[in-house]
Amino acid sequence: MSTVNRSVSLPASLVPRHDGRVGQFSQFSGLYARELLRTFRNPFVIVITLVQPFMWLAFFGGIFSTLSTSELDSFLLHAPPGTGYLAFLLPGVLSTGMLSIGMFGAMSTIQDKRFGFMKRILITPTSKATVYLAKALGSATRGLVQIPVMVAAAFAFGVHLQGSALGWAACLLGLVLLGFGFSALFLAITASSTDWQTPGVVSNFITMPLMFASGAMFPTTIYPGWMKAIAEVNPVGYSADLARSVMTYGQFTGSCLTDLGYLALFAAVMMGVGTALASKYLKVE
Amino acid sequence: MTADGLAISAKGLTKHYGKLVAVDHVDLAVPRGTIFGLLGPNGAGKTTIIKMLTGLSDITDGTATVAGFDVARDPMHVKQRVGWVAAEVILDDDLSGWENLWLQAKLQHLTEWKERALQLLAYFELTDRRKDKVGTYSTGMRKKMEIALALLHQPEVIFMDEPTIGLDANVRRMLWELITGVNRQFGVTVLLTSHYIEEADFLCDHVAIIDHGKFVAVGTPSELKARVRADYVELETSEAVTPAKLEAIAGVTSVRQQGSTWVLRVSSAEEVLPRLFHTLATDGIRRINVEKPSLESVFIDITGKKIDQAGPDVQDYRKFYASVRRARQ
Repeated sequence: MSTVNRSVSLPASLVPRHDGRVGQFSQFSGLYARELLRTFRNPFVIVITLVQPFMWLAFFGGIFSTLSTSELDSFLLHAPPGTGYLAFLLPGVLSTGMLSIGMFGAMSTIQDKRFGFMKRILITPTSKATVYLAKALGSATRGLVQIPVMVAAAFAFGVHLQGSALGWAACLLGLVLLGFGFSALFLAITASSTDWQTPGVVSNFITMPLMFASGAMFPTTIYPGWMKAIAEVNPVGYSADLARSVMTYGQFTGSCLTDLGYLALFAAVMMGVGTALASKYLKVE
Repeated sequence: MTADGLAISAKGLTKHYGKLVAVDHVDLAVPRGTIFGLLGPNGAGKTTIIKMLTGLSDITDGTATVAGFDVARDPMHVKQRVGWVAAEVILDDDLSGWENLWLQAKLQHLTEWKERALQLLAYFELTDRRKDKVGTYSTGMRKKMEIALALLHQPEVIFMDEPTIGLDANVRRMLWELITGVNRQFGVTVLLTSHYIEEADFLCDHVAIIDHGKFVAVGTPSELKARVRADYVELETSEAVTPAKLEAIAGVTSVRQQGSTWVLRVSSAEEVLPRLFHTLATDGIRRINVEKPSLESVFIDITGKKIDQAGPDVQDYRKFYASVRRARQ
């Protein structure tokens, strides 16, 4: 058994500075870094993050991959050059992949509540809003790791991607905004939960309708009216449109900027509403 | 620090959870630099008091001042000046000891913390293991790590919730020495909760005995013990015994039954025991226990029950630890 080393004494001069103001940036950066540290030390999480959208590309995309361009044309109206449906699908899958990434943040939040770590955090001068924002940004960052892998996989499947550097930068920004917005929404919904099962349920609830009621998988022109109506406001569709315009058709136009603006608005609203909800309802344990 | 020399003061502190009154108008005055103990059974409201004093839980009624700041009005200032050690040892097991210290420094907004962190690691003899994941530490090391985290920002007050629960005897001893050492060496005021009588007796300058959310007695351990001018005898017999038979023994001042155990309040155990043995000679005494004046007998005297039998079932913290560890793996 170890004992106390009595030869060490602490000088009383090491008093931390308290200037009276309680800033939040230090706490935010610490918590955000913790989220990333924990993620990247857990290869399992990374693998799952990567595999899911890859599966969509391989299996879902596989169904259509043997169709000829003329057959696709009747369905997609304007089949993209190159590999046809996969080139159409990739921007969509990148976007729908952002739907469920909030699940990781929600699960890590619930773990912190159940193991008491939330108490350790909130017993320091750290606000609930800071905890919430660090988790949301942590989730969004985690979701980004799928982008390079997906793009590489698309190349491996023989898809020819288009677009300028500026266009791609806009696509990435759009995906970041989309991922952050959905993480923020996800974490706000689960703020008061302490049940491990909640994130899974919420994930299904969010993912299923928003994945299909968007232009991510198919052109919305073939949808019934009510699904079109959802797709009109669904940010997943805006991100898919933006990415498809740039990556698949090589066009970075004014409507791309509108898409980007819409995604920025979505992220901002989710962050605002979510922060307000989380500072009120985020449970300690 | 307040002019009255109190590190913690509270007036009429009350907490309701729905209809349940967890803490009921508690007054608290803890002089700076002392160790104050909240002693009581599980579910008595000890942890709730800590949660209110640290701003983790809203105060339903009453006021509290910690380290010179009002808890309800200036929770952030209070949080900058208090440390906390949890009953169940809460650390991030996926991070190393040093990373846990780093995160704590971030959360406390510290800029110059590395020197102090190194000194704390040396003080708690954790220097060699600082780069290892905390999940690989022994229970004693984890507890020490947690105290190091609590001390990192040089707090004025440290709250320790059941600091030795679930620990084996020698780790508990070590922790007692650590707590007194930390209190003396760093001049930190300590408020701890416990349901171990001997722990409160050994560590605390002042003790408040709490039952059902109320303070039933407050004072130094010796003051409290002096209040009970009686010994308690607990016994179990194999034959049924009537209370009248026990009450008839000279020197027995009261008789209570608690399950299968009789609890007798006696003027002096030394004088009463021979008569007791004589009276119960044919009843088959299976177990007998004499309680000289102690915090336990104070608790019995006031509430009529033993601390570890009062309140909801005592949780098995060893099982709790085991399940938490399993879940973390």
